[in-house]
Parts: sequence; C-alpha cells; structure tokens
Amino acid sequence: MSEKKNISGDYHHQHDHAHSHLPSDPELRVKALETLLLNKGLIDSETLDELIDTYENRIGPKNGTKVVAKAWVDLEYKKRLLIDATSAIRELSYQGRQGENMVVVENTPETHNVIVCTLCSCYPWPVLGIPPTWYKSDEYRSRTVREPRKVLLEFGLPLDPKVQIKVWDSTAEIRYLVLPMRPKGTENMNESELAELVTRNSMIGTGLPKEIK
Amino acid sequence: MSRLHDMGGRFGDGLIPLPRDAENEVTNFEPTFKYKWHAKAWAITLAAGALGEWNLDISRHYRECLPPKDYINFSYYEKWLAALTNLLIDKELISLNELKEYVFAAEKGTLRKFSDKDVKLDQRTWLAKDVQKTLGWGGPSIRDTNVSPVFDIGNKVITQNYNPNKDISGGHTRLPKYAMGRVGVIHSYNNNHVFPDKNAHGLGENPLPLYTVEFKSSELWGELAESQNDSILLDLWEPYLKLFPN
Repeated sequence: MSEKKNISGDYHHQHDHAHSHLPSDPELRVKALETLLLNKGLIDSETLDELIDTYENRIGPKNGTKVVAKAWVDLEYKKRLLIDATSAIRELSYQGRQGENMVVVENTPETHNVIVCTLCSCYPWPVLGIPPTWYKSDEYRSRTVREPRKVLLEFGLPLDPKVQIKVWDSTAEIRYLVLPMRPKGTENMNESELAELVTRNSMIGTGLPKEIK
Repeated sequence: MSRLHDMGGRFGDGLIPLPRDAENEVTNFEPTFKYKWHAKAWAITLAAGALGEWNLDISRHYRECLPPKDYINFSYYEKWLAALTNLLIDKELISLNELKEYVFAAEKGTLRKFSDKDVKLDQRTWLAKDVQKTLGWGGPSIRDTNVSPVFDIGNKVITQNYNPNKDISGGHTRLPKYAMGRVGVIHSYNNNHVFPDKNAHGLGENPLPLYTVEFKSSELWGELAESQNDSILLDLWEPYLKLFPN
C-alpha cells in the first residue's frame, strides 16, 4: 500500500486545474485555445479544415452501408467479414483511425447485437464516422448494458422475448459493427440498391434496415 | 471504487436523447457536428494529440480525472476542451500565463491571430497534406509479442474486484465497475494489446493478452436482468481476470 500512496491516479500535482481558467462560454474557450495553438505553430488551420471536411463529407455511415450490402450479396465476402473484419473492410478501402481492429457481429433470427461504450464513446470511425450525440449520452451509456430491451423500445425496436440480446461494451480498442439481417423481399435488388436500405442505427444494433414497401 | 465516467448500469438516467423527424419518428440523420465549436474542439484535440506528447490512454484518463462536478456539468466537447487544456499545460506546450492572456483577450474581444509569416510551425505540427495518410494508418494497439494467453476459449473466469489498476490507486482502467467481481466465460482471444492501465500513466505499453468475455445478464444484474438469455460482452485484459474454479 505504501507505494501506492506515493503515486496518485490524479494528474494535478503541480497546480490547480488549468481548465478552471477557461471562459464560461465554450465558444470563447475554443477560440482562445485555437488562437493560442495557431500562434505558437502547434496546430495548422488547414489541418483543422481538412479533418472537419473529412468526417463531415467523406467518412460516415455510407461506408458501412456498402460493407453490409456487399456481405448480403456475396457469401464469400460475408465469411471473410465475420472471420477477419479489419481485412475485409480494408478491401473496400475503409481503414485506419478508430477502426484498426474491427469485429463484425451478425444478427440472426435468434440473436440481436447492440454496440455501446459505457466508459467513453468508442465507435468505428472508418465505417460509421463520428458517433451521434445519443451514442455519447449518459443515458445510452448507462442504460444499454442493464436494460437493452427498454432502450431498444425507445428506438422503436421491440424485440421478441425469445430473441437473445448480446450487448458489446467496447472497453478496449476493438471496434464493432453489426451486420443486420437482409430485409425480406429484396431478392431482386442489387448491391447499391441494398446499401440504400441500410441505416446507421441498424449497424449499431439500435435499428433495423428499411423495409421495402 | 471508480470515477464518474464509469457509468454502465447506474440508475437515474432518463430517456435516450434521440433526434426525431416531423412525424416524431426516430431519425438516423443529425449533423456530424451540431455547432461549429464542436467541430473545432474535436479537430484541435486531434491535431494537438498528433504532436506526440501523449497517447490515447493518457487523453482518456485526463477526461476521466476532471473533478466530478465539472464532469457532470460539462457537455461532451466541453470535457474534451478541459482535458486538452490540462494536458497542454502539464506537457508544457503552453504556459498558464499564456492561457490566461489568451482567455483574457477572448473575453475582451481582442484575440489576434498572427499572420502566417509571423508563425513558426513546430517540427511536430500535423500538416494538412499528411492528414489522410495519418488517419489511414490510425494507431493500432496490437503488438507482436511472445506473451502467450493463459486462458482458453470456454474457460470460466472471475474479474478483479475493487481496484483493478495494481500500480496506481485511482489509476486508469478499462474494467468497468459493473463487471467487477463477476464470473464470465472467455468468448475469444484477440491477440496482445497495449495495456491502458500502464500506458495511461506513462509506464510503458506492456502489451498483454486481450479477451472478449461473455457475462450472463443475470450474473451482472441479478433479478433485475431483463431476460435470462441476454448477455453482455466486454473486452478485458488478462490481469483483470482469474480462473474461476468449476
């Protein structure tokens, strides 16, 4: 025990919390920090623009819909996806930050999968982009592991009591993607038409793909 | 013993804040960043992280170490900003005086951005031309080591109780409170990964076997479990686990 007392998990050994000096308006906080870092040459404004543009316009759930649609039409691809998702997803050129170790979990008539991160907001960026606000909310993080059925009902997804729910809490650097079941009556649709049916929530497990009317 | 970020299973949280369309149906669409400052806070954090002065586990731990009253009151990106500020000061990338000076100017409306020619870029600064390349690499946490996993798939294990971080009291850990002292089954072994409990404190990467462990819902929640069939799966490092005698 004595050794432990000398090292604390808290980091503010040298000073009070620096963040308490920030302005109360968060917009001003960002402006102050951004300007300071820019003037010190520690960040570059073009880099910030490139990052924001990438995740606002290029990397998002559209990527994931293509992975799912391909798995629906190509059994061999689906096999590869379930065995080594990182490589199979890289075949479609989606890879990298927050998707370095991907695992795809398959929904079946017997099992429904749901993804959460109770400790922070881990989420598979290359295939789904930046997480939506609800995914990062205290409500979703706290409740999904204890009462997934109530949570799914709020999403408009009542589950048969006979279906087993598996909740995957992303506590390490593995990032999960749900492979939803292909909707009925879509036998004649091609891959790109199928991709249009896949919703973001269906790839987190909090929704289903769109039905065809 | 835990911190506020470790909220899995707690009581008191209300309805999930879901975006809804005109017919009040849950919609899948919401902007990537709700406000411009959210985007900026996020991007500044990534860009500052690329300076290489801290790792992912350290930045997570800084967010978790915000005083409880701040953690509760801050919105998501406010937590990011506060943790980033503390990191920048602790790693001496900025000084407290500089921070105060810029905060003062921001509040007076006299912030001034230097012209490009007056800024000397740091050697470590992440440049726009490298953004796609760096994002594509990511930051894999898998390490090739000769450490062999102790547990086999199907083994029954019990998780550590009380203080999973054996080096640091109140230290960073990825074993949530709700799964401490509980019995589960090894579902899979996922190679060896950097161990956050050490890496978050600058004690080295110390890569160790990472398992996915399956817990019955009733094991975690007792009679409150919604269904006897349901299960919860967590990714847990070997030191969090002990073989559970059959």
